Amino acid sequence: MSDAGLSILGDTAPGFPARQGYGTRAYGNTSPETPLARWLLVRPDGRVTIFAGKVEYGQNIRTGLAVEVADELRMPLSAVDVVLGDTDQTPWDMGTFGSQSTARVGLQLRMAAATAREVLLELASPRLDLPREDLVMRDGRVASNADPGRAFTFGQLVDGQTIEREIDKEVPLTKERDFTVMGSDVRRIDAEARVTGQAVYAQDVLRPGMLFARILRGPSFGARLVEVDSSVAEHMPGVVSVVRDGDLVALLAENDESADRALSVIQATWEGGAQGSTIDIPGILAETKRDPVAVQENGDVEEAFRHADHILEATYYAPHISNLPMEPRAAVAEWDGDKLTVWAGAQRPFGLRTELAGMFRVPETNVSVISMEIGGGFGTKSWYPTGAEAAKLARIAGRPVRVAYTRQEDATEGTFRPAALIEIKSAFRTDGKITAWQCEAIHAGPLGYIAQRGAQTPYAVEDVAVTVYCANTLVRVGSYRSLGAAANHFARESHIDEIASTVGIDPFELRMRNLAGARYRSVLEAAASRFGWQSGVAPTKRGVGLSIGEDVGSYVASCVELAVDGREIHVRRVVTAIDCGLVVNPEGVRNQVEGSTVMGLGGALYEAIEIGDGSILNTSLSRYQVPRITDSPEIEVVLMGNPDAPSTGAGEPGLVTIAPAVANAVFDATGQRIRELPLKRQLR
Amino acid sequence: MALTVNGEERQASDPRRNLLSYLRFDLGLTGTKYGCGEGLCGACTVLVDGQPLKSCMSNVGAVAGGSITTIEGVANDGSLHAVQQAFIDESAMQCGYCIPGFIMAAIGLLEREPRPSRDTVRQALSSNLCRCGTYLRIERAVIRAAGEPR
Repeated sequence: MSDAGLSILGDTAPGFPARQGYGTRAYGNTSPETPLARWLLVRPDGRVTIFAGKVEYGQNIRTGLAVEVADELRMPLSAVDVVLGDTDQTPWDMGTFGSQSTARVGLQLRMAAATAREVLLELASPRLDLPREDLVMRDGRVASNADPGRAFTFGQLVDGQTIEREIDKEVPLTKERDFTVMGSDVRRIDAEARVTGQAVYAQDVLRPGMLFARILRGPSFGARLVEVDSSVAEHMPGVVSVVRDGDLVALLAENDESADRALSVIQATWEGGAQGSTIDIPGILAETKRDPVAVQENGDVEEAFRHADHILEATYYAPHISNLPMEPRAAVAEWDGDKLTVWAGAQRPFGLRTELAGMFRVPETNVSVISMEIGGGFGTKSWYPTGAEAAKLARIAGRPVRVAYTRQEDATEGTFRPAALIEIKSAFRTDGKITAWQCEAIHAGPLGYIAQRGAQTPYAVEDVAVTVYCANTLVRVGSYRSLGAAANHFARESHIDEIASTVGIDPFELRMRNLAGARYRSVLEAAASRFGWQSGVAPTKRGVGLSIGEDVGSYVASCVELAVDGREIHVRRVVTAIDCGLVVNPEGVRNQVEGSTVMGLGGALYEAIEIGDGSILNTSLSRYQVPRITDSPEIEVVLMGNPDAPSTGAGEPGLVTIAPAVANAVFDATGQRIRELPLKRQLR
Repeated sequence: MALTVNGEERQASDPRRNLLSYLRFDLGLTGTKYGCGEGLCGACTVLVDGQPLKSCMSNVGAVAGGSITTIEGVANDGSLHAVQQAFIDESAMQCGYCIPGFIMAAIGLLEREPRPSRDTVRQALSSNLCRCGTYLRIERAVIRAAGEPR
């Protein structure tokens, strides 16, 4: 089972307590019960392979993780290979979400690499007949400090042996001043595959003998299949069979178009399902709110409101929106006896493995899930029913089966960001000091962790009560970049500007008067300074707005400049400052913040799903507008550089400040305060 | 019927075969992507006789006798096309799914207009989508590629 070379083992799931279970260590097929998994291998040829259960869907972690390892091992980045999201090879992982890859797995890999460094130095000492302190590691070799010509490569030091070591948790990590790769702009190591069409996504997996499947979908949410007549479809050219397994009805064909054509002639009768053409989602949220969680409580808000100079109450609303990744979900499943392999674009390959093993009653070690390159997800590909559909059909057909969703199917079978209704009541003095803050945030659906994210106020308020609720939902809700933080920030930061206008204070100044946290203050100052923020009381007609935020431990502030022309909003310029602790790859952080800005603008300006007759009416790109290149403003990203703070996420925080900054800028331009997203629909 | 794909003569039996499906599944050229199936995202863009075409909206019969270039046929003898290199140099990508389509559309643009303005680049690429939002980088990459001798 062991590979030749130096293997570094560490906690299977860093940050999660290991449980007792089978085996003590594993090179593959790990689970939360496996205490130790292999994270790093120095191969006999001197190359280093790192293993992580995270997946790559655009965040550029493949490069980021390789950079961290290259620096600890003083070796060229080009000699680091990265294996991601493969249940047979990588340490168990809960899933790629919450911007945890650099924060948690990156640190684990740094420790693994630093441990390997110490072992290699230890191996070199007798070979060079020098004490440890007279050795230097550089360019993938260990050399004599005095005579750099005397050196051994990593491959020579490993010398075909099989060595296993555990991560030394006390191992010294490389200090910032000694970084050679970390902290500098690095080209992504998988760039060439992406520009030549060689990068393989789940949609691209083709297996010998593979059948193409299309699945019959109901006309509305909750509709039940009563009767199906597939007699015509079965005899169409290219059709292999029509499968009916419970509610699953699928066409299996020798090619994609045969399946498409046959699907379109299936006659099906459905019953039940949601009705009604006009649906009042804010009304449903208000009426069905439940499971209150007090996420922030201090003092006595009622008492504070009784003695307030000013009181402001307002309600904000954010609709359901679609993640709409470029690649619709796809999976190919192949059985070999009772062993199953699924190629998918899942954000949770190990979760999918557990689901499949349970469904087919086979041990998890019989199931391999390989996450391919993923064509975007932004959270929604944690939900991946495609894998089970393909596996079921492959089992029945006895051949590999590909299930690939159409664009419309990916929307209806996927997840949406929960709609949110947020009521804020604040009290404040004429000098802008906020004295009480009461917030009730209701997010559609049962997922409290989505609703709670970013709901707390960072402003120094004595009397505060923030309560978050779940509520009924008509559509399947799930993760969207930054979860509920986008809606919660939209409400809070809009409200802060409303306070500023009420007392006639510049929005930047009002925030500075109320903010205690140093990292908040410094990002706000940095963004305002780069933007050239000029003090003024909105509406100034200039069309400028700002906001601050925090998500996954990182601090952000954005300033926006826009023009309102009739019912059009043209965003011209966005400046965002971000403090995400120690920056591993500045280029990667800038790219993520730019992307979050563009995505945030879609949600701010025009994205919203429309529900009618129990289904989603705008699943097609012709009816669901997303930002295009012609919509992209100038974007500037200010990196704070905070090497003393641990690395925190960079993929999500840049989104939370966009909608409120744009709403505040629209107010500044027009005097119209819009409390409901998307802004363009409300503009008068 | 015959058509040329990346310089090679290829046969197709059914003129109604969707061009994107033919390229991806019959020829195995999966670098060209499916994104929406209605010509609105540009992930399936290929060149037909040098002109960008949304392959998901076309069929084999419509391009019979033509010369088709996909992303796999853009690099010359292992050396990247200037547009490909510029996308790398500007880190103009995240998930990368839309990138082949953008590169094909950009190559088509530079054939017609070797020194496009920023506005021309934006207009020419406005029917391609990048949900990761790397538009500014894509725009810079195309301008950069135009500035280099090809």
